[in-house]
Amino acid sequence: MEDNKFNGRIRILQTAILVINIISVMGISIFIYATIEKIRRAYDAREFLNEIQAIVWYPYAKIWLCALLLGFLTLSMVIRDRLFPNNSKVILTSLIADFIACFAIIIELNFNYNGILLLVFSNVILYVKNGKSRYILAAVAIGSFILADYELLSISYRLYSIQDYIAFYSASKQQYFLSVYNIFISLNVILFVAYCVNIINEQQGNIDEIHGLNEKLHDVNEQLQKYSLMAEKMAETRERNRLAREIHDTLGHTLTGISAGIDACIAIISISPEQTKKQLELISKVTRDGIKDIRRSVSELRPDALDRFSLEFAINKMVTDINAVSEARVYFDCRVSNLKFGEDEENAIYRVVQEGITNAIRHGQAKEIWVTMKMEKEDILIQIKDNGIGCKEMKSGFGTKHMKERIRMLNGAVTFDGSDGFIVNARIPIRRGETYD
Amino acid sequence: MKKRRFILIGLMGLFLLLTCFFLYNKNSRPVILEFGMFTGSNWDVASANSFKIFDRAIADFEKNHPNVKIHYYSGIAKEDYSEWCARKLLEGKTPDVFMVLDSDFDKFTSLGVMKNLEDLMSSDDSFHKEDFFTTALDTGRNGGHQYALPYEVVPTLMFVNKSLLAKEGIDMPKEDWTWEDMAEICQRVTKDTDQDGLLDQFGTYNYSWRDALYTCGGNLYENNQAQISFTDSRVLNAVKYIKRLNDINQGQSVTQEDFNAGRVAFMPLTFAEYRTYKTYPYRIKKYTKFQWDCITFPADKEGGNTSKVDALLIGIGSKTRHEALAWEFLKQLTYTGEMQMDVYRYSQGVPALRAVASSQEGVDCLQEDMDEGEQVISSTLLCHVIENGIIEPKLLQYQQVMNLADGEVSKILQENKNVDSSMKIFQRTVSKYLQQQK
Repeated sequence: MEDNKFNGRIRILQTAILVINIISVMGISIFIYATIEKIRRAYDAREFLNEIQAIVWYPYAKIWLCALLLGFLTLSMVIRDRLFPNNSKVILTSLIADFIACFAIIIELNFNYNGILLLVFSNVILYVKNGKSRYILAAVAIGSFILADYELLSISYRLYSIQDYIAFYSASKQQYFLSVYNIFISLNVILFVAYCVNIINEQQGNIDEIHGLNEKLHDVNEQLQKYSLMAEKMAETRERNRLAREIHDTLGHTLTGISAGIDACIAIISISPEQTKKQLELISKVTRDGIKDIRRSVSELRPDALDRFSLEFAINKMVTDINAVSEARVYFDCRVSNLKFGEDEENAIYRVVQEGITNAIRHGQAKEIWVTMKMEKEDILIQIKDNGIGCKEMKSGFGTKHMKERIRMLNGAVTFDGSDGFIVNARIPIRRGETYD
Repeated sequence: MKKRRFILIGLMGLFLLLTCFFLYNKNSRPVILEFGMFTGSNWDVASANSFKIFDRAIADFEKNHPNVKIHYYSGIAKEDYSEWCARKLLEGKTPDVFMVLDSDFDKFTSLGVMKNLEDLMSSDDSFHKEDFFTTALDTGRNGGHQYALPYEVVPTLMFVNKSLLAKEGIDMPKEDWTWEDMAEICQRVTKDTDQDGLLDQFGTYNYSWRDALYTCGGNLYENNQAQISFTDSRVLNAVKYIKRLNDINQGQSVTQEDFNAGRVAFMPLTFAEYRTYKTYPYRIKKYTKFQWDCITFPADKEGGNTSKVDALLIGIGSKTRHEALAWEFLKQLTYTGEMQMDVYRYSQGVPALRAVASSQEGVDCLQEDMDEGEQVISSTLLCHVIENGIIEPKLLQYQQVMNLADGEVSKILQENKNVDSSMKIFQRTVSKYLQQQK
């Protein structure tokens, strides 16, 4: 887009308008000076004064002033287009400066040439994107172009006219000068129109392009959605296949063995109870192996740090992480020697601690949190205590609901106390007898 | 990005530095005031002292303003001065303070070359415009604004050939004489003295219908209106009176030679000419064959003994960079008693300041170079003539119309036409002309 804006043709036209304006402005100021010199040499000054309505005050200084202002305009164009093409502040400032310089030139030339306004408008049009401000600008442009007209202003103000200076020459020369003067004015307008047409074309092209791209984007988006659905389905299928394979490989294998063993037991139990006992022992071992296999399979499906580390290490890691990332201090006090429980228990404990800490920080704005864990008979007691704002009335939804559900699933109990800070007390019965280790 | 910013800041810094240098340079140099003046008299009389007055004024001014130098070009003749001014204007080097010729005043003010002095005048407590002759001050006004101040004033007077009147046994006319008095004297002096059948002694020379108009209360251009009425009864009266005087001459025209030979009784003369040719050294150059003096113009019933008043104006360039100094210098020339007295001492006009013009020292100045026994025009009379004088509008258009009217009147006199009908036709021509000019 940005490169597009300064494409070759527009740039050439812009430069051409600049050149035409420089020639016109310098031409007029030099022509006036030269004519005045000619009048002075011919000693026609007093006679000439009778023909004019206003004086050109400092004709020689005017040439330099015009040159200076034109130089300024060119410099501002270079700064804007080449050095800071994307800095909106520079663009706005330089455009306003352009406008002032251009009016200074028009006033210097006493409104005999207002074509320089077109140069400024051509610059402005390039940068104004917004539709509304573009209309305002167009109104300002047309208004100032009409107002800055010599014929209109010379009614109420004392302005010199280039025509008076042209009229000093002989008739044939007058025609020559007038036509040059008018040609330059027309040329400027023609270039400006060509420039505008180009800009409009360019922008129309851009709009079409954007429309096309938009449609394409829409299509691709739809396709992507289809793909994502398909990918989801495929993942599901893959997972199902894996589960089926696992079940087939472990459970199927074990159960087949068990059922075959039991069949054998049924067959021999009346003949040889001793043999049957041996057989049953064998079946028990197979069953245990099967359970091991299933545990292995299930553990492969487990997420989190828990499947990689021990519970204590996992909780310690979580505490370190929280201490590292938040302002709150968490102290973990574990008085249980061997933290090794069933996976569902480990999961529940881990989650309860995690949620307790999260709640203390999020809802209690606690600065210090103490987590203690100890054994009492066959139960494990977890306490999460903080020094936060607490909670006068218990409301569900502060993450406590999940905690309750989790612990209830393990036949445990949880209590909350929000009177001084916030305390979570959880009691979970451990299935020591059911452990497989 | 950083490099660009450095370039930008560098450019701005350079610009500031240049501005500072320029301002410093400008302030450290002495102020030079350009003064535009011409050499010689504004009244087309010989003048030996034209530089003297201004050199004195400039020396005085430079003494009081140490860091100021006044510069002027010497040797510009009055005929060239208008062109010189115009050239300076076109070049953009308008003098800070400059003399303005009557013919330039209207054009210059309309071009905005002359500074409007109203603000300067009202804000200066030491300046009171009432000190000037009202008529003189009014010559520097245009469109209700004061653009220039009068430096010296010259009224028009009536030259009287005393020797001729004495020869014919006629008393010197009084100051409040009338048209009838003059017509009667003209009738009496107009005669053929050498009996060759041709008149060789006349009543008036150069006395025009305009002079008559001013003394009958007529005014063509009232309040600068764009209408000029030539069918007004007073205009007609003036033309008829001129025709009557002309008729006495029986169609014979009066020449400068007749006048120089002392054969004409009356001729309008500026006060400048009066002073120049009445005093040494120029006294011996002209009008040596007879005794002469000046009096006021004769008046009609409705009018007064008034005449045209001219003033030499000095103004300030509207683009002057030293407005306060220019104003001080302008005041030095026009508003100080000493400089104004120099007008009496070295120039041929009357000071524009009323108090100086009527002072005893001034009268003494006038009397100094006179022949013994000659009575100079009294200063009260002089002031009266100036104060009640007529100022001709300086519009180019007005001058053109008046030239047309002069031609028309001389045609009436030569071809002995009917005044009323001729002026009616002429009015239509003028109206058409003015319409085109708009």
